[in-house]
Amino acid sequence: MTGRTSLLQVDGLTKVFGAGRTEVRAVDGVSFTTGAGEITLVMGPSGSGKTTLLTLIGGLLRPSSGRVVIEGVEITSLPSRELPRVRRESVGFVFQTFNLLESLTTLENVEVALNVAGVKGAEARARATDLLVAAGLETRLAFRARDLSGGEKQRVSIARALANRPALLLADEPTANLDSLHGGEVMDVLRNLVKEDDRAAVVVSHDVRLQRIADRVLRLEDGRLRAVAAA
Amino acid sequence: MSVAGSACAVLLILLVASLYRGWSTASSVLTRLPGDVWVAQAGTRDPFRSMSMLPSGAAGRLEQISGVRLAIPVFARRIAFTQEGRDVDVYFMSLDVPTGPQWPAAVRSSFLPPRGGVAVDQVLAQNAGLHVGDELDVLGRKLRITGIRPGGNPLYQLAFVNGADAPEVLRLGDVTSFYLLSLANGANVAAVARASEAALPGTEASTSAAFAAATARLVNEGFLPVVGALVAIGFLVGGAVIGLTTYTATIEKARDFGVLKALGASDGFLYRIVVQQSLIVGVAGATLGIGAAALAASLIERRVPEFVTELRVGDAAGVFAITLLVSLVAAYLPAHRINHIDPAIVFRA
Repeated sequence: MTGRTSLLQVDGLTKVFGAGRTEVRAVDGVSFTTGAGEITLVMGPSGSGKTTLLTLIGGLLRPSSGRVVIEGVEITSLPSRELPRVRRESVGFVFQTFNLLESLTTLENVEVALNVAGVKGAEARARATDLLVAAGLETRLAFRARDLSGGEKQRVSIARALANRPALLLADEPTANLDSLHGGEVMDVLRNLVKEDDRAAVVVSHDVRLQRIADRVLRLEDGRLRAVAAA
Repeated sequence: MSVAGSACAVLLILLVASLYRGWSTASSVLTRLPGDVWVAQAGTRDPFRSMSMLPSGAAGRLEQISGVRLAIPVFARRIAFTQEGRDVDVYFMSLDVPTGPQWPAAVRSSFLPPRGGVAVDQVLAQNAGLHVGDELDVLGRKLRITGIRPGGNPLYQLAFVNGADAPEVLRLGDVTSFYLLSLANGANVAAVARASEAALPGTEASTSAAFAAATARLVNEGFLPVVGALVAIGFLVGGAVIGLTTYTATIEKARDFGVLKALGASDGFLYRIVVQQSLIVGVAGATLGIGAAALAASLIERRVPEFVTELRVGDAAGVFAITLLVSLVAAYLPAHRINHIDPAIVFRA
């Protein structure tokens, strides 16, 4: 903890796949907290459980044990039908492969996230435009997602993740598919958007360049947290 | 592809329906003849499939009935003959009334040709390659075509000859097939019918509409089950096409649905997308299918005279509405599939 308001609290989070001889403890007793305006970088080798940890925090996967508390709400004890609301209102996702809807325009990709939350029409358009301008994409609003560069796609993905003003941003290898120039751009956008609005971000990555924007670095090995270090 | 598939189904349904409509209204020609009540030999309810033989010279007796303005002897007989090497089978009718300006032009040209003339229907004309002015050789009697009446049907082609030519062409001897009564304004049709039957024992009288309906009933009874089966198959095919397309699209877009789930989309939001997609396919398919059916019916009718169609707005609207309903039903499986899409799919590279 850094002393700032805790937006995310992870306690003894464990996820076990399979049973008996095939049992795999993908995430094993992970605990940490993240405060407003903080970027926490989770690093570790492939198969260390980074992405599983992210899906558990985002409520896409149920843990075997442990708790995830976002903005004071323990999402791990919520019924499944409540989780989409948590994801709409409190969590934004940024994916390694961007996961934009390729047939839609840049603007529509962000608008969709707003539509999902019930924001529609002119208001959705205005908010999506503001976010994309903040991400430096004002000249790409009408481009189809498929026509954007990797860096641009990732910036759209970040704008979409922030569309509903979530307190927590979860990013999975956000720079993995980008060259150093575009990776740097994405990092800057990520940092600015997190810091300006006092959000918290958990970023999982192999990319050591991300340490530049991280406030803390957690090292995960075999599902366990091995080290915590201030960046 | 999916729009084309559902359009084909709608096209099939509407073509069958319009063909059925066209055939079932073919007997409506009986209601356009210049009379209101048909007097036929008892037991004859369909002029095209059963004989009616009444005594000649009874018109005067029928005209004595209150409300009867005119009793027209009608001679009718099916005659097979050869026309320029082609076998034709025609139902000839003749209304034994003086032709003249007292009849509307449409009645004269369609049903009351001048002496030596014959008015044929369009199906017969196209089948036999006949035109106005051509000569028809009916068992040695030459008749010149003076009019071609729109319509016709594949079951029986109709031709009208002048009353003065009837004995020679139809050769019925001293027999009249029917009497067609033209009633005065305000006449009581039921009372006239009863009085006619009393005046000519062994007869049955019915209105033109009832006479036509009895004929249409035979067509309906014969074709309706077939039409029903084809229409049901059409809807099944259309529904399956729409359902499979939407289902396939859902599978192909599973990752996109996963993204939306990860973004927090509710099940209702996702169902709406699937239903919208299904409805779009349904609406586009139905619209295209209706347009194609109208075009196809017109084109085929020109090439195949027996293909008598009547595409009704009500039928098209009904098919459109049912297609939308089928689209909604077809969305069920894809919507169900969405439940099983794991949003964590979005983290897989």
